[in-house]
Amino acid sequence: MDIVYSFINVLVFILCAPLYDGIMRKITARVQSRQGPPVVQPYYDILKLLGKNTVNSADNWSFKLAPVAAFASIIAVVFLVPFAFKQNFASRYADIITVVYLLTLGGVSVLLGALSSKNTFAMIGASREMVTMIMVEPVLAMTLILGAVKFKSLALQSTMYSVTSFGYSASIIAMMVVYLLALQAFVGKQPFDISEAEIEILEGPFIEYSGPNLALFKFYMMMKQMFYAFLFIAVFIPFAETGYYIVDIVIQLAEMLGVFILIALIGSTNPRLRIDQAVKYYAVLIFISICAVGLSVKGF
Amino acid sequence: MNTDIYRNLLIALAVLASSAVISPILAGRRKLAGVVNFLLTSIAGVILLVVAYGAIFGEGEHAAQLISFGPLGIHFLVDGFAGLFIGIVSFMAIISAFYSIEYMEHYPEYHLRWYYLCYPLFIFGMILLLTVDDLSVGFSIAWQIMTISSYFLIKFEYKKKENVRGANKYLVLMELAWLLVLVGTFFIGGYHFGDSMHEIVQKIGETGGVYLYAMYGFLLVGFGFKAGVFPLGQLWLPDAHSIAPSPISALLSGVMLKTGIYGIMRTFLFMVPANATFDGMTWGMIVATVGVLTLFIGTVQSMKQSDAKRLLAYSSIGQIGYIVFAVGAAMVMLNVQDPLIKTLALIAMIGSLFHVMNHAIFKGLLFLTSGSVLYATGTKDLNKLGGLIKIMPVSAVIAGIASLSIAGMPPFSGFSSKWTIISTSLLAGNKVMVLVIFGIIALFTSAVTLACYVKFFGMMFTSVGHEWNVKKEVKEVPAVMLIPKIILTLVCLTQGLMPFIFYRVVINVFQRSAGSIVQGQYATYDFSQMLNVSLLGIQVKDFYTASVSAAAAPIVVLIVVACAFLISYLFRISGGSKEVTAPTWLCGYQELNNLNRYTDKSMFAALKNLLWWTGGNGKNQ
Repeated sequence: MDIVYSFINVLVFILCAPLYDGIMRKITARVQSRQGPPVVQPYYDILKLLGKNTVNSADNWSFKLAPVAAFASIIAVVFLVPFAFKQNFASRYADIITVVYLLTLGGVSVLLGALSSKNTFAMIGASREMVTMIMVEPVLAMTLILGAVKFKSLALQSTMYSVTSFGYSASIIAMMVVYLLALQAFVGKQPFDISEAEIEILEGPFIEYSGPNLALFKFYMMMKQMFYAFLFIAVFIPFAETGYYIVDIVIQLAEMLGVFILIALIGSTNPRLRIDQAVKYYAVLIFISICAVGLSVKGF
Repeated sequence: MNTDIYRNLLIALAVLASSAVISPILAGRRKLAGVVNFLLTSIAGVILLVVAYGAIFGEGEHAAQLISFGPLGIHFLVDGFAGLFIGIVSFMAIISAFYSIEYMEHYPEYHLRWYYLCYPLFIFGMILLLTVDDLSVGFSIAWQIMTISSYFLIKFEYKKKENVRGANKYLVLMELAWLLVLVGTFFIGGYHFGDSMHEIVQKIGETGGVYLYAMYGFLLVGFGFKAGVFPLGQLWLPDAHSIAPSPISALLSGVMLKTGIYGIMRTFLFMVPANATFDGMTWGMIVATVGVLTLFIGTVQSMKQSDAKRLLAYSSIGQIGYIVFAVGAAMVMLNVQDPLIKTLALIAMIGSLFHVMNHAIFKGLLFLTSGSVLYATGTKDLNKLGGLIKIMPVSAVIAGIASLSIAGMPPFSGFSSKWTIISTSLLAGNKVMVLVIFGIIALFTSAVTLACYVKFFGMMFTSVGHEWNVKKEVKEVPAVMLIPKIILTLVCLTQGLMPFIFYRVVINVFQRSAGSIVQGQYATYDFSQMLNVSLLGIQVKDFYTASVSAAAAPIVVLIVVACAFLISYLFRISGGSKEVTAPTWLCGYQELNNLNRYTDKSMFAALKNLLWWTGGNGKNQ
């Protein structure tokens, strides 16, 4: 029966993801001394896009497949994660490697869409997106592997909430710092919104997309942001487990709000890096996270 | 049963030999020769598949057998382990022969006599190499037949100078590899030419000390040459694989490299005496390190290529790295005194052979795809291709499936095998730290593999470009070239969705291969205690608490993703929006043309610059 929790995950994520995005837009606007749109603006955006015409310049089926695949992959990820401490059916059929690969599948779909759209700007965006994906994926993987080596298990529940069993250690703290440093790259916000870079390459991979296809991609991005916010609170601050499911959901959502405020503040106050600068930065992060995993194996 | 196997093996070899006689005679009529070659190869292949089945699933032990050819007696051994590789070789040989019929038509300026002489001999040599049970006479004959026939196949387009150079290099280095293996055996005390493997193992047990290190070292380098491990593979593999006709590239990469893996595994799992003269930990570490270096560097180099077949060739080095790494990691884990880790070693071993099977299929498929594109457009330069998805939809779908498979996307085939390899090394990392680091590198490399194939697929089938660079009219390849690819695709999908079949095959293989250091463990270990293999997928359980500690269930993932697809599709059509078309928008200043395309040089440039030190940057032809 634990499959019910998976469906609740999907529902909660679909309902809340645009709200968080709206809050971030509001905060960004305030930091920049603007009024900003209402927090429910992302819902309006998506609903409006769903009714708009699709402008298709690509004339092939992969262009239309890509947005559906991207959104589907993030739904699949959310379906599997143990949101609000609840072990769901994924504990028997999936582990962290599956989740890492499924997240990559979302990125691949974005790339497929970009490559299918025949636009040079989209290709530039795709190339940058792929490089970013390659460089931050190890950090994501190691965040999860850190718990895995302690537990001798790759199961999602135990690796994600390893702090609840083992407490904080030097390796967890190091990894937390790395995760925070990589957070903007995970969610594609400044200073690492290099692959979309609105004013430079015009939304990169999404330049040719419009209407419902764009809505799917936007939704995918919001869900992805929410997943990474969730991952942070699950791995690094998994407290206040009350045992009441609904209360746990509310608490975790509230914690995520904190992460989003942080993302918005960093994002609105930083300029964008160039991809070659970012790659060097990621390389340092990878190195530190490998050290953290090493520490974790040694029991620190 | 036992005599049946050897009789069938000889019949199949005779059929292949007859094909080498008949097909070249008919070579004047190109298609007829192709069909005859295909039919005879199929007959031999089917017999060999029966042999393989018998060896893997048949009753009883399979003893080695001395078969005399006149004055020459050669030891043969067809055990489960050889059976698995025989199965792969013969299956790919049939597919490739089928594909050759039409494909070879696009070389009108070359005669096919040599091709159809060498094709069956190449298969003959590989089968012989897998079945001989010595490291001297039979081994040398088999190696030479395989090497020389493949040399002529690689040199097929002999009018191009660089092809001849590449082929010559291949020949020289493969002869060197052969010498290395022969020299290696001289370090065994009391070794005689013609000794069977069984006698060799006994003598290794009596030899001690530093000689053994030299022996294993020479054999590792020799077979490593063949398998294409770093840095040896880089010397010959990219050239040889990219210049050969595509069905041959598929065989070279999908199958022939596996004979090197076969040699490495025979050396370190079978040629090991029961007493403690073998330093498994050290050799395991060496093999695992070689494997990780190979998988990382091969794949990163692959990302830098702009020639489709060179990209695939470098990526073969990378995938071989995964297999070698799994073998090494398993050897390390076997030598850790912990029942949990020892069982993980067995699972890692399954992963390596599973990846051997998967790689044979999807890499064969990818080479056949690039062959189809070459056939249809006349070029394999990614910068000149693009936008073929509309013209060659079937090939595009097949290439997409193969690309996702090699990148290890669930639920495609690379996922299960890479998952097995990576998850076991991560789980064992608690005792052996270096395995965690290796596992992370393998996971990272998997993302780089993805980048390679995003590029491969993207620049060939999606994006834009062939309309400006390909002069002739491009059409989808004919059905006779699609059918073998479709068959391979179906196998590939099966491998992805039903890993349990292949797990069972590999477990059977190890249970039925006498003399390996793991046979006893496979035979007696109660796998169900830790490894749950079912229709739904693979689960690794914790040794003590019996809770699931790692799981890969491609079918479940498929169902979840399929439902998610449905949701997102419904979401898209919910607004009832209509579709209109418009030209590509480049800020209104430019039309899309050949000059403002995004070429390979810029693709992933930041990452290429960061990883320039891995080499392979070379002049991309």
